[in-house]
Amino acid sequence: MKTILFFLLFFPFVGGFILAVIGRYLPRRVAEWIACASVLGSLLMASLAFGAAGEKRYLLTLFDWIRVGDLSASMTVYYDHLAAIMALMVTFVSSLIHLYSVSFMRDDRDYVRYFCYMNLFVFSMLVITLADNLVFLYLGWEGVGFCSYILIGFWYSDVANATAGRKAFVLTRIGDVAFGIAIALFFLILDQLSIFSINSKAASLSAGTATLLALLLFWGAVGKSAQLPLIVWLPDAMAGPTPVSALIHAATMVTAGAYLLMRLFPVIALSSNAMVIIAAVAAFTGLFAALAALGQKDIKRILAYSTISQVSYMFLGIGAGDVTGGMYHLLSHAFFKALLFLGAGCVIQALHEEHDIFKMGNLRQRLPAVFWLYLVGSVSLAAIPPFGGFFSKDRILLSTFGHPEPIYKFLALIAEIGAVITVLYTFRMFFVAFLERPSLQEDFRKKDLKIPKFMVWINAPLAILAIFAASLNFPEVFGGKSWLAHYLASIPGGIPLSPASAPLERSMEIGSGLLNIAVLIAAYFLYRPEARFLGRPTPVVFRQRLEELLSSGFYLDRLYQVALVKPYQAMARILWLKVDEGVVDDQFDATANIFRFFSSGLQLWTTGRLSTYLKMLLLGFTAIVSALALGWYYLR
Amino acid sequence: MIVPYGNVLLLAIILFLLGAVCSISRRNLLMILIGVEIMLNAAGLAFVAASLKWRLLDGQAFVLFIFAVAASEVAVGLALIVYSQRRTGSLNADQYNQMKG
Repeated sequence: MKTILFFLLFFPFVGGFILAVIGRYLPRRVAEWIACASVLGSLLMASLAFGAAGEKRYLLTLFDWIRVGDLSASMTVYYDHLAAIMALMVTFVSSLIHLYSVSFMRDDRDYVRYFCYMNLFVFSMLVITLADNLVFLYLGWEGVGFCSYILIGFWYSDVANATAGRKAFVLTRIGDVAFGIAIALFFLILDQLSIFSINSKAASLSAGTATLLALLLFWGAVGKSAQLPLIVWLPDAMAGPTPVSALIHAATMVTAGAYLLMRLFPVIALSSNAMVIIAAVAAFTGLFAALAALGQKDIKRILAYSTISQVSYMFLGIGAGDVTGGMYHLLSHAFFKALLFLGAGCVIQALHEEHDIFKMGNLRQRLPAVFWLYLVGSVSLAAIPPFGGFFSKDRILLSTFGHPEPIYKFLALIAEIGAVITVLYTFRMFFVAFLERPSLQEDFRKKDLKIPKFMVWINAPLAILAIFAASLNFPEVFGGKSWLAHYLASIPGGIPLSPASAPLERSMEIGSGLLNIAVLIAAYFLYRPEARFLGRPTPVVFRQRLEELLSSGFYLDRLYQVALVKPYQAMARILWLKVDEGVVDDQFDATANIFRFFSSGLQLWTTGRLSTYLKMLLLGFTAIVSALALGWYYLR
Repeated sequence: MIVPYGNVLLLAIILFLLGAVCSISRRNLLMILIGVEIMLNAAGLAFVAASLKWRLLDGQAFVLFIFAVAASEVAVGLALIVYSQRRTGSLNADQYNQMKG
């Protein structure tokens, strides 16, 4: 088991290392194969571990890392059912995306750099997934942040991309600081850095400490998962290559925040106040991001906002105490969102880097395969029954609604509104981009749409999983087995059955299913090809304002610009012009001027002629020796 | 000591002055270097004489150091001269006036 886990973790690292060191001297095919093989090897190991582990849990030390006094940070792996599922998902999605990338990056000359960072990303993500020691986990946490930064700015020759990368890095750092503090506090209070020991000792924490720790952890997760105050980096992160967005900014890294809270759920669960805050932030983020997605034109930005919104459902599940629901949604989201992103990548490449959905159209006939894949992804995202997204999202809504505290009823309502808007924005994107629209300019429609077939059919496994994700955890009230829920029952916070009573569950699932379908039909009438307001500017000022509000993400960027960045820049400017240049520099300038004044007479002596210098040297030497001799003679 | 101490010192002084005048009055870098060498050896001579006069070996040890310094100085100095010759095509010391303040 130790060997399997070791290889599971270090295959991608070795792949990335080889590519970093000698990748440039390898033939292109070989480099691509190394990248894919290392991740596929990891997938194989994850499956082996899944099979071998059975019902058991493993706490294995791979090797010591840091040992100073009481502090020991060893590379320890804690393999429980949560980690098993997560590792399988991460390696599976990464494998597909690596294979897809081979096609996607076929014309890019920087493929070595790309695959090297992708491999390192998978390694760091697996560290987060498996690590038991929090310092080791933090290594992965920062590792994914770094890879995300470098891959967002992958096409760095365009300044906007590099800026987007920096923005993501700095904003996630705000969260990471809190996580770092939380780690230090764990060590101070519990003398423990191991997740396993922390979870078993969590009960000894006082309520106030637990709230503080839970909120610090949540704040760290908020940064990584782009939740409400720190939303703004994710839409800009779409500057990176599309497979990167699919892997890092949809399927894996942004869900790492939610995963961290699930890993440390016993600490979170101690504080009901923290749980309420988590659930409230999540519910509002979900609504907020869904509304913002409704106003976007860029297909990738729609998906980015939708990711924020979907991740917030995972947090809502955690806030409602339903880790199983959160994990279930994490899984189904990973599948359908990766599918949507990869489909969007196909569309964007086929249309020669066109991101605007209003300039797409008629893709049903031109890219029929992508059309079907995208449809599967869309219905799953919109939570249309019986697809995976429906049951996972509904389970979360249900456990929120069924929570004994009254405030959760209100949060469930907000989340439900968010879910309805999800249907709207998903099918707005789908109908506008894929159905035929007569108003579209002719020249664009005639363009050659050629993409490699491989890029399309590699999505098929994701589509199949998106369709059948429901069967992973088909609710028992409808005669299902709830396999995932039973599998996850052994982890802390895992509830095998949804907390609500069977009649409530049945009526609510049917109700929200029907509601989603109704909204889907409404969306068709709103955004169908013949809808009159599509494709021409609207005259009504109010509507324009509204669109502007939504498409800018409620001016959150501008708010941060005005409230934080501008004052900071003004302060830096004062420090620079007034303090640094005004006081420090001027002072030195004045000192230098005094010396210059006194030395202006000596300046005449420096003729630059060697002979003069030598004469002066001899003269000076003679003078000194004479003075010494005289002094010796008289003072003896 | 057969030769009187004063005579040796006189010779050393004459040699030193010759070297000093040589290095000051000549413009050729090579000659300046030779002047410096002569001065060093004059100092060495004075040391040897003093060492014999006072019956102390320190002075002779110092001469060995002076030889070593002189040898390395010549090595570095000649290398610099060759380099300067290549760079400017001349050995005239007054040509090197880029350092004028």
